[in-house]
Amino acid sequence: MNLVSSTSAVPTARSRGLLGCECCGLVSEAAADAARCPRCGFALHQRKPQSLQRTAAYLMAAVVLYVPANTLPIMATASVIAGHESHTILGGILELWHTGSWDLALIVFIASIAVPILKIAALALLVVTAQRKSRWRQAERASLYRLIETVGHWSMLDVFVVVLLVGMVRFGAFASVEPAAGLLAFGAVVVLTMLASASFDPRLIWPDPADDD
Amino acid sequence: MRGKRMRLSLAWLVPIAALVVGTVLIVRTVMQAGPDITITFRNAEGLEAGRTEVRFKEVVVGKVTKVALSPDRERVLVSVKLDKSVENLAVDDTRFWVVRPRVGMAGISGLGTLFSGSYIGVDAGVADEQRLHFTGLETPPFVLRGEPGLSLVLEAKNLGSLDVGSPVYYRRTRVGRVVGYTLDPARDSLAVQVLIEPPNERLVTTASRFWNASGFDFTLTASGLTVDTESVASILVGGVAFASPADAASAPVAAAGQRFELFASSKTALAPPDGPPLRIRMVFEQTQRGLVPGAPVDMLGVEIGNVRSVALLHVATTDKFPVEVIADIYPLRLGSVRRQFLAAQGATEKTDALFLKRGVDNGLRAQVRTGNLLTGQLYVALDFIPKAAKATLDMHTDPPTVPTVRGTLSDLQPQLAEIVARLGKVKFDEIGSGLQDTLRSAGAAGNSLQETLASANAAIRQLTPDAQRALADVQKTLTSVQGTLAALDRNVVGGDALVQRNVNQALLEMQRAAQALRVLADYLQLHPESLLRGKPADADPAKPAEGAR
Repeated sequence: MNLVSSTSAVPTARSRGLLGCECCGLVSEAAADAARCPRCGFALHQRKPQSLQRTAAYLMAAVVLYVPANTLPIMATASVIAGHESHTILGGILELWHTGSWDLALIVFIASIAVPILKIAALALLVVTAQRKSRWRQAERASLYRLIETVGHWSMLDVFVVVLLVGMVRFGAFASVEPAAGLLAFGAVVVLTMLASASFDPRLIWPDPADDD
Repeated sequence: MRGKRMRLSLAWLVPIAALVVGTVLIVRTVMQAGPDITITFRNAEGLEAGRTEVRFKEVVVGKVTKVALSPDRERVLVSVKLDKSVENLAVDDTRFWVVRPRVGMAGISGLGTLFSGSYIGVDAGVADEQRLHFTGLETPPFVLRGEPGLSLVLEAKNLGSLDVGSPVYYRRTRVGRVVGYTLDPARDSLAVQVLIEPPNERLVTTASRFWNASGFDFTLTASGLTVDTESVASILVGGVAFASPADAASAPVAAAGQRFELFASSKTALAPPDGPPLRIRMVFEQTQRGLVPGAPVDMLGVEIGNVRSVALLHVATTDKFPVEVIADIYPLRLGSVRRQFLAAQGATEKTDALFLKRGVDNGLRAQVRTGNLLTGQLYVALDFIPKAAKATLDMHTDPPTVPTVRGTLSDLQPQLAEIVARLGKVKFDEIGSGLQDTLRSAGAAGNSLQETLASANAAIRQLTPDAQRALADVQKTLTSVQGTLAALDRNVVGGDALVQRNVNQALLEMQRAAQALRVLADYLQLHPESLLRGKPADADPAKPAEGAR
């Protein structure tokens, strides 16, 4: 652990001219630019190329799509009893809350609202700090990144629920569920945040004077 | 290396694409959202924010977004978001109403809403003027705009059993329906709106007559009992029927919104038109029990009108209570008589009154007569009374007063009184004395009868000696006849008469002979052998024979 606090003192792979394969973990000699792992053929690079740019781009796309994802309905239901209804995520949460299922409302809120926002905010923080080559709380930022990676998939909960409903609720004239435009946007947000976190190279948390990309 | 570092990542295309997609999504949604309108209703039964739909021709064109009370809490404000596609619904003459399940005689409507909940129905307006605040109808409109057909207005005296949805019949075929009725309290008139559905609208001409075909008519005529009804359904739910009079075949097709009178029955409907009534007033001195509003007014047997009201008056000068009868007469029913008069006089507003006045000058009087002896119903007859006292039509009163004469029934009473009075004048004492004279002369006649009898007596007395002699002869003859009969009696009939005794003896002998014969027969039956062997010796009584046991 004390290795982290004094980065300059620690010998890195880069300083030794070595490259680690991100796929199979093989450490090999750094050869040319377009080097490939001699064992598995995975592309090798010291840092993910244009990591910050790509992360920022995906993040911005996610932010843009987050607006329609929450304002447009994600699901349209039609039933004999209730007629045609369309539901937004927030509306669904409110409905759950009002009907007394506050626990369910909480789960949906965390999975569909809190986690994407948290993810976008955390990644934005990571990108900004990495861009500034900040040395501020590097260990916490690293654990934040790991948290994002772990929790990010759960945002797809909504998408799964809707897709399940669409597949299952097919009672002809009595009831049917159709996905709506918001679901597309929401799914895109989740995918984009996952792409963003995948594009982010956590090694950039510890800035290297040799690394000015 | 430097140039490579400066190169922008292709990943930047992603946010641009996202921006485009997101913008498109949002813009499309915003574009889809039509105008927000507010509709006020009396109550919000069945309306739910976010759930209740707005449907035009059963197509969902919007949704209720908010249900709230108006500031004065009198009404309900329903906010509706219309779809973009029906933006033009938010115009001045669009109508909104709540579709709820309704059960009526003519059918059940809105049954689907039992399950789906109420929704707001729309009838699209055609005005150009935009409008965002509407007042909702409490009941569905009778006719939707643009619904094909000919809508007409029938002016009715009463609704009968008509209701919205009641059928309209032509030749007992359903060709339309009643789409509504409005009672105008200001004018005290009832207007029934009907819609003739295509392609039957050409059947309605300007001369068509409409009547209320609700229920059924019993008509008892000389030819028997007639039950008249349009259909079984019309008995239950009422209906309107129409027909064109035979002489109006070439009348033009009626225009939309034309007003017709709704008659009470086909008979009145198809009768020649009455035209405007002429109201008249009649004052009768006698009681008019049995004269009711609606009683016919006839002229020489032709029904020309009806009694409108019967009321009591008080004449202060004489302190009497005459009966005032107001009646409507329809001069058109007089036909050619009136036309001739019109031709001679020229038509003015007062023509009919003048016509009546001339009639009165010629002895036309109103008289109450008995129409039905059983029920005591009366009618008013306008008739030319030959010896009526001179009178004129009083044009100063409103309506003009027709002079009256006593009714036939009330005429009878004074006649009876007259008879009684005449009876009173009869000199019954004179009649009595005359009778006495008669009786006296009858007594004289009795005396002469006595004399006649006496002379008859004398005549008889003269006859007597001869008769006595004749009688004595007769007596003698009778005596000899008596002797003969007595001798006969002695010889034949008497107890000891010879003939009788001999006959008695002969009979006794025959009796004995018969007895003996019977004994013999019995014996022979028991002992047939005795015919051959002869009679055996008598058995010893002490030793009974075997056969005797």
